[in-house]
Amino acid sequence: MSINMVKIGVVSCSGEDCLGGTISRLATRKMLDEVRPDATVTICLPLFLAGGVEERGFAEKFPTISVDGCSKTCAKRATEKYSGKVSAAIDVTDLIGKEVAEAGALSTRNLTDEHKAMVEKVVSEITAKFDEVLKTAQRDLVSKGLAMIGSGSSGGCGCGPK
Amino acid sequence: MFEKIKVIPCSGMGKVYGLVARESTLKVIQELCPNDSSTVCLAYIVTGDQEAKELIEGEKCITLDGCPSMCAAKNAELAGGVVVEKVRVIDSFRKHKGAKPGTATELTEEGWKIVDEIAGEIAEKVKLLSREG
Repeated sequence: MSINMVKIGVVSCSGEDCLGGTISRLATRKMLDEVRPDATVTICLPLFLAGGVEERGFAEKFPTISVDGCSKTCAKRATEKYSGKVSAAIDVTDLIGKEVAEAGALSTRNLTDEHKAMVEKVVSEITAKFDEVLKTAQRDLVSKGLAMIGSGSSGGCGCGPK
Repeated sequence: MFEKIKVIPCSGMGKVYGLVARESTLKVIQELCPNDSSTVCLAYIVTGDQEAKELIEGEKCITLDGCPSMCAAKNAELAGGVVVEKVRVIDSFRKHKGAKPGTATELTEEGWKIVDEIAGEIAEKVKLLSREG
């Protein structure tokens, strides 16, 4: 078993009612698609309630980073309420400003360079936290003589692998 | 007071269907029926906050789900929403066999066409429900 196979969960709120939700979603997708594709897993947040025991065990199984688009921090609170404590939490409002983040929701059809820059900023922050969490998780596993093996491809959710 | 119809997508993260649900919803509430419809963040509903429940309790909802877990429909009902229509995005894809709609990150032209089609159908339902009062 390889410690390189430790996987980190990144859970975004994907809020439909504000720009921050779209940014949180796109940043999380970028972690899955490009930045850390082999080490990132995710779950659809609503599955904590709509799913079963396996879904609720997500944050127990994977060290998890929540990515929230507004200061309600739904991803962090829902993950901790139904699944387990998060290892790190990102609030997009801290990075792009509350007023901007809580402006109207954005369709990806209308994504501008400015929005893409916001996504990049959030991705940088997630990546920094991700690497810290990964390092800690690897160290813990080594010290316990265990390895946490993530199964399936990244991006798993109730819809199946991407 | 007239309450807008709540259109609530799952926004699933793993497959394109979640993005199609999300984008269809945004098209309805922002472009096609801005005066008759609105959305509520599903993640907020999931928290179980009283304030979130109050936004949806007793309200007519149309949910859009991308997978059989039906997260949007289940969570809306759990929060007390009156789900009058449960849209399964996958059903729309049956009319587009072999379509390549894109990914959970980005849609192709074909994906956007399906979004427009679903949004158009939902807009009709919203208008009908609004007339019913």
